[in-house]
Amino acid sequence: MSKKTRYFVLTAATILTVGLTTGLVASYMGMGVAFSKAAGPDELQYVPADAAVVAYANVRDVMNSNFRERFRKLEPDTQERDEFQQKTGVNIEEDINSVVAAMIPGAGNVVVAPGGPEGASEGGVLILARGRFEQSRLEALALEHGGKAEEYGGKRLLTHVKDSGDPDMAVGFLEADLIALGSYSAIKKSIDAGRGNNIVSNTELMRQVNELDGSNAWAVGRFDAIAKSAHLPSELQAQIPTIQWFSAAGHVNGGLSGVVKAEAKDDASGQNLRDMIRGFLALAKMQAGSKPEMKAMVDALQLSGEGKSVTLSFEVPSEIFDVLEQMGAQHLKR
Amino acid sequence: MNGALPTASTHLSFWTASRRVFDLSLGEMLWSRRTIFMALVVGGPVILAIVVRVLEMFGMPALRLNGQRVGGVGVFGVVIWMLFLRFIIPILGVFYGTALMADEVEDKTITYLFTRPVPRGAVLVGKYLAYLACTGLVVLPSVMLVYFLLVRVNEIAGTFVQLLTDLALLALGLAVYGAVFAFVGAFFKRPLIIGLVFIGGWEQTVMALPGYMKRFTVAYYLQALVPHAMPTEGVVSLLQGMFRDTPPIAVSLTWLTVYVILFLYLAARTVERKEYVLEQ
Repeated sequence: MSKKTRYFVLTAATILTVGLTTGLVASYMGMGVAFSKAAGPDELQYVPADAAVVAYANVRDVMNSNFRERFRKLEPDTQERDEFQQKTGVNIEEDINSVVAAMIPGAGNVVVAPGGPEGASEGGVLILARGRFEQSRLEALALEHGGKAEEYGGKRLLTHVKDSGDPDMAVGFLEADLIALGSYSAIKKSIDAGRGNNIVSNTELMRQVNELDGSNAWAVGRFDAIAKSAHLPSELQAQIPTIQWFSAAGHVNGGLSGVVKAEAKDDASGQNLRDMIRGFLALAKMQAGSKPEMKAMVDALQLSGEGKSVTLSFEVPSEIFDVLEQMGAQHLKR
Repeated sequence: MNGALPTASTHLSFWTASRRVFDLSLGEMLWSRRTIFMALVVGGPVILAIVVRVLEMFGMPALRLNGQRVGGVGVFGVVIWMLFLRFIIPILGVFYGTALMADEVEDKTITYLFTRPVPRGAVLVGKYLAYLACTGLVVLPSVMLVYFLLVRVNEIAGTFVQLLTDLALLALGLAVYGAVFAFVGAFFKRPLIIGLVFIGGWEQTVMALPGYMKRFTVAYYLQALVPHAMPTEGVVSLLQGMFRDTPPIAVSLTWLTVYVILFLYLAARTVERKEYVLEQ
C-alpha cells in the first residue's frame, strides 16, 4: 500500500471513528439532554421534571400576526382587560412575550373529596409568563386583597390564603422578567426545578419538544394525562392505552398551519391509529363534499407517519379565513 | 502488473492470493479516474447538506412538506433514500463492479494476472474486496459528514441507531450491487450497458409495478431495510409506495446475503473458466 493510499485510508477511518464515537457518547452519556435546552424556551428550566404536559406560546409572534389582526374586530369588549391593566399594570397584548404552561401531577391543592383518598392532591397547573411586570405594584395589590408575601428558595412568593388558612393560588417572581402563576405547591416545585431536576432532564419529553422547534405555539404531553382532563370521543378513548405521547404544534402567521402527532406504544398500535384516523378523514371528506368552503379545509388535512408515530398536518391559508369572515358577516346580517 | 504478486516458483493459498490482489488493487482503484467521478457523486450530498445547514442558520426552512418544515433528521432520511440508496450505491456498484475484470481485459493486462501462480478466482475476490474498501471508505465517511451537518447535536442521541442502520445498509448495498455487477463484468461483453439498464430500467420499472417480479431486484430487499419513511414526491415514488409490499427484515437480509455469495461465486467461477480473448 502506497503512502498516499495509507493516508487516505487513515483519514476516512478517522472520520468514521470520530463520528461513531460522538454518536455513542451522545447516546449513552446523555448529550441529547445536555444540549436539549437549546430546543425549547429558557423557561423550561423552571418546569418540574415530572410535568405530564408542557405547552408554549410565543405571545408576541401571535399578537403581531396578520391572523390575530383579522380577528381583533371580533374580540369582545375590552373593558375587563382595561380594568385588569389598571390594577396590575400589565397590558396582556404588549407586555407579555411568551407563556409556558405545564400540568404537574400531584402539585395541585389538597382536596378532600367524598369517597376519595383523604388529603389527595390534584394535578396542578403552572404558568410561566415572560414579559414586563411591576413587582411592587403586584405585591401591593396582593397584600391589599389579603394575600401573603414570603420568600422561598430566594424568590419572592405572593400567596392567596383560603378561609381555612391553607395557601391557595400563588405568584412567584422567578426572574426580573419572569413570573410563575399557579397553585402554591406548583410554584414551590417550579422554584425547586430552577435549581436542577427540571423538565430538561426528562429525555423522553424533550425528544418530543425537539421535534417541534420552529413553531410559535406547541404542546407536548403524556397522552393519559391529557385524556384525563379532556372529553374525547369514545373511539379515541378506546385507543388511549395504546397512545403514549401526544404533541401539537402550530405556526400562526397570515394563515394557520400545524401538526398533531401521536406516538403509540408499538408499530401495530400506530398502524391501527393511522387506519382509524384515515377512516375519520374519509368520512369528513364525504361530509364536506357538498360544502366547498369546508372541502378546502378538509383537503388541507394530511395524514402521515410510520412505525409508532402518527402525524396529522394541516394548513389553513388566509383565503379560507376570508371565506369564514364572509360567512360570519352574512350570518350577522340575518 | 508489478512484482507484488508471486513468481511462478511460489504458490499461494486462495485467501493469501486474494489479499495480495487486494493490496495491489486498492491503490489502483483509489487513484484512478473513476474515483474522481465517485468523489463528485458522493460530494453532492455533502454540498447539499452544507447548503441546508446554512439556510437553517438563517432561519430559512430548506425543505417543506405539506406546509410543514422538515427538520434535519427528515432531510437526512430523504438524502439517504433519494440520493444514496436509489442513485449513488447502484451507480457505484455498476461502475466499479463491472470494471473489476473488464478493465483488465480492456487494458490487455489480464494476461499478466493470469500468468501468476494464483487461483484466477482469487484475483476477482481480491479485486472485489478492494472495491468494497475503496467505495466504503469514500461513501461511509461522506454519509457521516452529511449526518453531522444535517442533524442537530440534541437529536443525535435519538437518531444514532438510525445512522448505524443506514451505514450498515449502505455497506450491504455496495456489497450486493458489487457482487452482482462483478459477475456481469466477468460474464458479459458489454457489462456497463447491461448494468445501467439493470439499475435504471429493470429495477425502476419492476419496483413500480405490482406482482412478484420485484423479487428479482436488489432494491426490493434493500429498500425494505431502510429505517426512514419513503418520500412520496414524484410519480415513480408514488407508484412504488402504492405497490410496496415490504418483505420482513430477516427475509431481506437472507436474500441479500444469498445474492452476495451466489454472484461472487458465479463471478469467480466465470473468471476461472472463461477464456478471455484480447482484441488486437
